[in-house]
Amino acid sequence: MILLSRLTGKISLLAILLFTNMPFVFAEDDHSEIHDLMAHLLDPAAEAIWDSAGFVITEEGEFSLEPKNQKEWDKVLYGAKVISESAFLLSRPQISKNREDWIAVSGLLKVVGDKAFEAAEQQDVEELFRVGAELYQVCVACHQTYMTD
Amino acid sequence: MKKTLKIIAISFTLLLGMNTFISAHHAFTAEFDPNAPINITGKVVKVEWINPHAWVHVEVKEAGKTTVWMVEGGTPNTLIRNGINKKTITPGTVIVVRGYQSKGKLCLPRCIANGRDITFPDGRKVFMGSSGTGAPRDGSDPRERR
Repeated sequence: MILLSRLTGKISLLAILLFTNMPFVFAEDDHSEIHDLMAHLLDPAAEAIWDSAGFVITEEGEFSLEPKNQKEWDKVLYGAKVISESAFLLSRPQISKNREDWIAVSGLLKVVGDKAFEAAEQQDVEELFRVGAELYQVCVACHQTYMTD
Repeated sequence: MKKTLKIIAISFTLLLGMNTFISAHHAFTAEFDPNAPINITGKVVKVEWINPHAWVHVEVKEAGKTTVWMVEGGTPNTLIRNGINKKTITPGTVIVVRGYQSKGKLCLPRCIANGRDITFPDGRKVFMGSSGTGAPRDGSDPRERR
């Protein structure tokens, strides 16, 4: 219940940021708007997912990167929700220009964000690792088509 | 009202904090120099199996100096599909990595390279990168369209 309350609060924060006509989200210039959305929302959110699953092997042994407490899991939940909501923003007509393939990839991003959220809710590290790879595939699919530099 | 202000203040703090992260996902040309090929020969000291890129840390001893190179690979899944896994690349394994240096080239703060292929002690050479990242078409990637 506490987690739900915390999460609802965080989602509210995101909603406030996304729907208050903040300049970095709704800039006139499409390119900078998309760039800012990637740089300030999607990239950090994706890294919250990627940094929370996997392992490191050294001569001393193997170490898991999985979250160690509820606070760390909350960061993953937040990142996953940001990905889902960013996908919604990307699919809006102002950004998508109604391009079908763009909207389709945005849809895939939403699906991956939702899967990451579910994995984080279940605290399923293996699934989170698998979804992390899926997330990267969606990023690459979009960048290969639309990223110009 | 006080609660709303607190929420807004926290939200800005969260976003500003997020900006300090270093992006793990990037195009090849954003970080690496296609004109700076490098061969790295040394002992594996650490392997990071993380998305979106696995990292292999290679200790190179040259002229009495020890340097650890961080070599970026493809996604863990890509590496596993290519036969590079926890059992085949362990600390202590001596490997040769062919790749490209980071744009800085000065090893500051670390020596970083993008790995294209990796040669194991038994002579087996395996592609260790990701397809479609903008890396040079140097023949390493078996999926490259020629």
